Amino acid sequence: MENSKQEAREVIVAVEDLVRKFGDRVVLNGITMKIYKGETFVIMGGSGCGKSTLLRHIIGNLKPTSGRVSLLGTDITKLDGAELDGVRKKIGMSFQSSALFDSMTVGENVSLPLREHTKLGKSVIDIMVKMKLELVGLRGFEDLYPSEISGGMKKRVGIARAIAMDPQVVFYDEPTAGLDPIMSSVIDKLILDLSKKLQIASVVVTHDMKSVMNIADRIAMLYEGKVLQIGTPDEIRKSPNGIVQQFIQGSFDGPIRFFQEKDDYLEQLTK
Amino acid sequence: METKNDIMACRINGVIDINTSPELKKKFEKVVKEKVPKVLINLERVEYVDSSGLATMVEILKKMRAYGGKLKLSNLSGKVKGLFEITKLDKLFDISDSESQALGSF
Repeated sequence: MENSKQEAREVIVAVEDLVRKFGDRVVLNGITMKIYKGETFVIMGGSGCGKSTLLRHIIGNLKPTSGRVSLLGTDITKLDGAELDGVRKKIGMSFQSSALFDSMTVGENVSLPLREHTKLGKSVIDIMVKMKLELVGLRGFEDLYPSEISGGMKKRVGIARAIAMDPQVVFYDEPTAGLDPIMSSVIDKLILDLSKKLQIASVVVTHDMKSVMNIADRIAMLYEGKVLQIGTPDEIRKSPNGIVQQFIQGSFDGPIRFFQEKDDYLEQLTK
Repeated sequence: METKNDIMACRINGVIDINTSPELKKKFEKVVKEKVPKVLINLERVEYVDSSGLATMVEILKKMRAYGGKLKLSNLSGKVKGLFEITKLDKLFDISDSESQALGSF
């Protein structure tokens, strides 16, 4: 039933058998997933599991060694330059560091994509900026500089900028990193609100378990460059997979090994 | 656009987005310049309005109110109405369900 419902929904991102190697090292090893319109899809996994590399492939910053990425119905793996930019104008990106320009006001930061990519007049852009800031709860902050606002506010300004062009999908890279628990909840709620109200897909890369369970419609659990499981928060919670369980419980003991055996250490030191 | 009993009524078709909203802005510059006192925009055939379209309508509203003009909207589809609600513009604009209701309320 769930599957047939999803088949009828518009596919926003389709990743097919994606492989990426850096030298001999296989960082992404046959990733396949589909992300649908209006859903909040979380890509989860430990540090170095390949989740940020996967995100960079989905938005076209990196090219795969093999496989295919389709974004809003366009195969972007072979696109470059203006053609790739044409597709990327329809997506929003919220970076881990907020990536605001310190020399610009909040309003100027949010209006940047509109000034760069459209021929809209200043008066209309100014109103759009205020509407976007209203959506992230920051109306009236447009004349302040990034240095004058808190880390959580900066994140929200970054999100306002990500939705400036009315994208069909917004990608969030570690949206709650470095925030206190209350501000993390505020950002979680904002991501959910924007997805539901604007009917945009949200793709969130994170290892913040609390955040994952709060916002995800579906979760993809990555481990060593492979998808271990894709499922609803409930399915992931009940997963029989030992690695998934170790990750969601944050346990030290389990199939994921953090230290190598003593024999390996001696061998490696003397090799 | 047609004018009846000093009310200018216009119907818009299609989508109001980044590509088409500058045209809407241009059309209404004339309305503002001539200080048309009462304007009704029927949005029945508008499938989608993006934020540039919403912002353009806000600008028109502001300019019309500056000379005492009245702007009303009617026949918003569920989707378009939803967009007005999300951005809280439903509280700024005078929105009617039907054209006759809007015309009668000027």
